[in-house]
Amino acid sequence: MAKKQTKKETKKQTKKEKIDKSKNLISLLKKHGAQVYEDLENGEFPKFSIPNRSISNIIYDKKLRQYVLGTNTSLRSSRNSSQLRSFTQLLWLAFFANKLTHEKKSSTLRDVYYSSQAFAVDFEDQGESDNIIVDLEAVLSQPREDFYVFPEERSSIFGDLTIEYTIPGYEGKTQNLSSHPDGYAIGPSMTSAELVDTSAELVIAIEKGGLFTRFVEEQVDKKFKSIIINTGGQAPRSTRTLLKRLHDEMGLPVVILTDGDVYGEHIAMVIKSGSANAAHLKGLTVPDAKWMGVWATDIDKFKLPTIPMTESDIKRCYDLLKDPRYQEGLWKRELEVFIKIKRKAELEAFSKYGLNNITEKYLPKKLEESKSF
Amino acid sequence: MSSKEQFNQISPSEFFYRNRDLAGFSNPTRSLYTAVREFVENSLDACDHSGILPNIHMTIKAVDPEKPDPKQYILTVKDNGPGIPSKHVPLAFGTVLYGSKFGLKQARGMFGLGATMAILYGQITTNKSVKVKSNADGKTRFDFEMLLDIQKNKPVIVKKQETPSTENGLSVSICLEGDYSKAGTKIRDYVYQTSLITPYATISFDDPKGEKFHHKAIIRSMPPAPTIIAPHPYGIDVETIRRMLVDTHYQIPNVDDKMIEKVRKELGMSKKKFTYGEIMKKTEKKWKSLSRPVRVVISLMSFLEADFEKLQRIRIEDVDLRNNKLVYWDYSTSQTLVAEMDVESHYYKQLANTVQGESLTHFLSKRFQRVGPTAALEFCKFAKFKPETRVGNMTDQELVKLSDALQTYEGFRSPDPTCLAPLGDGPLEKGIERRFEPDFMAVVQRTASAYSGFPFVIEMGIAYGGKIETRGTTVYRFANRIPLLYDEGSDVVLKVVKDTDWNRYKVKNDSAPMIIVSHICSTRVPYKTVGKENVADRPEIEKELRLALQFLSRKLSGYMSKKGQAEMAKKRANLYSKYLPLVAQFCTELSGNKKEPNYKEMIKEETALTNSDGSLEEVKKNG
Repeated sequence: MAKKQTKKETKKQTKKEKIDKSKNLISLLKKHGAQVYEDLENGEFPKFSIPNRSISNIIYDKKLRQYVLGTNTSLRSSRNSSQLRSFTQLLWLAFFANKLTHEKKSSTLRDVYYSSQAFAVDFEDQGESDNIIVDLEAVLSQPREDFYVFPEERSSIFGDLTIEYTIPGYEGKTQNLSSHPDGYAIGPSMTSAELVDTSAELVIAIEKGGLFTRFVEEQVDKKFKSIIINTGGQAPRSTRTLLKRLHDEMGLPVVILTDGDVYGEHIAMVIKSGSANAAHLKGLTVPDAKWMGVWATDIDKFKLPTIPMTESDIKRCYDLLKDPRYQEGLWKRELEVFIKIKRKAELEAFSKYGLNNITEKYLPKKLEESKSF
Repeated sequence: MSSKEQFNQISPSEFFYRNRDLAGFSNPTRSLYTAVREFVENSLDACDHSGILPNIHMTIKAVDPEKPDPKQYILTVKDNGPGIPSKHVPLAFGTVLYGSKFGLKQARGMFGLGATMAILYGQITTNKSVKVKSNADGKTRFDFEMLLDIQKNKPVIVKKQETPSTENGLSVSICLEGDYSKAGTKIRDYVYQTSLITPYATISFDDPKGEKFHHKAIIRSMPPAPTIIAPHPYGIDVETIRRMLVDTHYQIPNVDDKMIEKVRKELGMSKKKFTYGEIMKKTEKKWKSLSRPVRVVISLMSFLEADFEKLQRIRIEDVDLRNNKLVYWDYSTSQTLVAEMDVESHYYKQLANTVQGESLTHFLSKRFQRVGPTAALEFCKFAKFKPETRVGNMTDQELVKLSDALQTYEGFRSPDPTCLAPLGDGPLEKGIERRFEPDFMAVVQRTASAYSGFPFVIEMGIAYGGKIETRGTTVYRFANRIPLLYDEGSDVVLKVVKDTDWNRYKVKNDSAPMIIVSHICSTRVPYKTVGKENVADRPEIEKELRLALQFLSRKLSGYMSKKGQAEMAKKRANLYSKYLPLVAQFCTELSGNKKEPNYKEMIKEETALTNSDGSLEEVKKNG
């Protein structure tokens, strides 16, 4: 009971936070708009100050356990004829984001690209509009999902979790996420929904759709009281946001299951501590998340069939060795073993010992193990 | 070794018949094109030299249009020129190496050789006669039909007929084997480019496919006609000097009855018999008014102490200046006699001058262009000749020395360009402007220069943008108002254009809509081949071309940078008028204001800034 109480309280808090966040965003956008307005009124050329996202300005913050931007900023001024265009694009996006946030209408990156054409603000291609979106994220220090711009990629979720939609037309509607065995897509409505209730005690993020289906079939959700999330490779930011919310709001521990290779290891790392690409954003990381496997050391331990690493696999290993987050503990150890054995194993490799080997044997063993680190 | 070789002389016609490749009649394609050129150029030359604005009409018609190429075509070129007097027509068109173009002045053709070659070629390939219609006096038109007797180098008149007509001009029509499907492009290019460099001419062309090309005259005035002038010292060789000496050199006149009559007349002593003393007395009085031959005869008489009767009886055999003796034959006694000459007498001087020819300085300053008395004296100092050296006395070695010195001496002024007929900046500019309608153009006429004593003038024009449709640099080459179409690659003009670093002049060479028109005028254009299609890279010519092109490129560069600036400024202004209203609109909505901010002044300021630092209008007009 006591536990539930806490959960509810957290929930209320977050609900309030969320509304504040939305309000904050709107007032922030308004503030920028007003500044531009004032400049024009005074016959001055308006400008934006944008945190510099070049490699030299990305630093690792040990306290936050993630990459953050340094203090360098660059100026985008409408005075400069070569920046006037991108200045206008940025302002338009702010205007568009404001509209989306007010109307609570979600759009995709591609939508943004096409929407611009209605306003005579032309983007040469989607790449250009995607860049401007990141610029606005940096200016506002808010992820694009906050202003209702979502990526195309979808990952999915399954398990005993009840949510309450907040998007227009579904407000107040609830849904339990264990009713459909294919899982539920993690889209804008899911990310913005209230997390109402769950019996689960654990979140398992898994890299591959095939294994996700196997886990549902094998009723891993029931057997291990868990919510299962398919990240679909590198976890999209909406999925990482949801993982963070499940951890922070519902107090659920997060474990990650990936292929036994350097990319798998890094998928886990990004969920745990973010990516350099999103160094301008905070609140996308689950620092307490645990990488459960497949480890390099598991390959030998569980006698998994392997395939040899490619040149680029090995190069990636050495690249990550230089990353400040791979300087100690498990992360460093596993990376070094990968380099040593120069072989990798996929999650499906367990099928050698039977289709349910992974859920019956490997998973319980690793879950037990993970409690200790 | 037995020699069975036979030595025959061949006529010029025969020679050209055997070597027709040399003159550009190597195959049906090339031959048709060359024939067109020869006739059109003859017509233009004729009009130029008589100061008539040319109106030339050319037709090419297939004899049997159904046949595949190569086949027989009838080529007719008609002009409004002076025509050729009827007595000259047979020789002019029926003889090789007969013409009116052997003087030292600029003309398209050199000898009028090509037209006859074309006729010859036509006759060889089709065995048809040439038809010439000429009206030289504005009253009668003479129509000829002729064949060439190749071995005798003589015309054979097949038909001749007279018709009254008031229309001056010449029309030549030949039948020849040609290939219009291959030569057509070149011929049309040739007609077009000729009209470009002859903007005062109207040229029309009806082609065998029924297409009509009409290039109307753009200007109504002709550039001044060239004049025939004396040679420049740089362009001379020993043989030429020798010929000039023969021309100038005064011979001892033949003392015959006619001559004696002349002497009597000039002295005013026609009727009666006079004594030697009376004659000399009269001579003293009248010396100044006497003509040169008369003075010479009287000088002879003075040493012979002869009156007119004695003079009739003798023949002068030698004037021996070395021994001061006069040798003569006396008919009455039938013997050779010798008379002493008094060196002090002024009659001696007269004789000496006559026999030895003029002094070197006199010869140089009278017979050459650009050599005055002072220059002649200085040249003599340079060449180590005595100024009073008599040219008639010079030995062969001395002549060689003179010829060499003339070409090495640097003190002569450059050749007289009055024998040249450049088009002039005005007409060239007009021609380019009308034909291409460019955004920018500039022309330059360099001052005259010379190579090996032949004067030349470079004219050049550059045009950029506007209605020019070609991309990359297109070079139109002309020499003496003839377009050069073949063998582009090896031409000196192309070389100079290629050597230019266009980036320096802010021109993107590959994509620039640019045209260069180059015109070399000279009494002798140094063609690389007999076909007259490319100009050899003489250093003097190359230098002048380079200077002309540099001058024009700098002008173009000025235009390009102004244009660049103006375009940039315009772009900037456009940018602001496009984006600032959007910025205003978005920030108004974003900030929740009702009224848009007052930003219009800012656009105005930006636009004003643009106009003050060079608008396009200003740039366009200025070359």
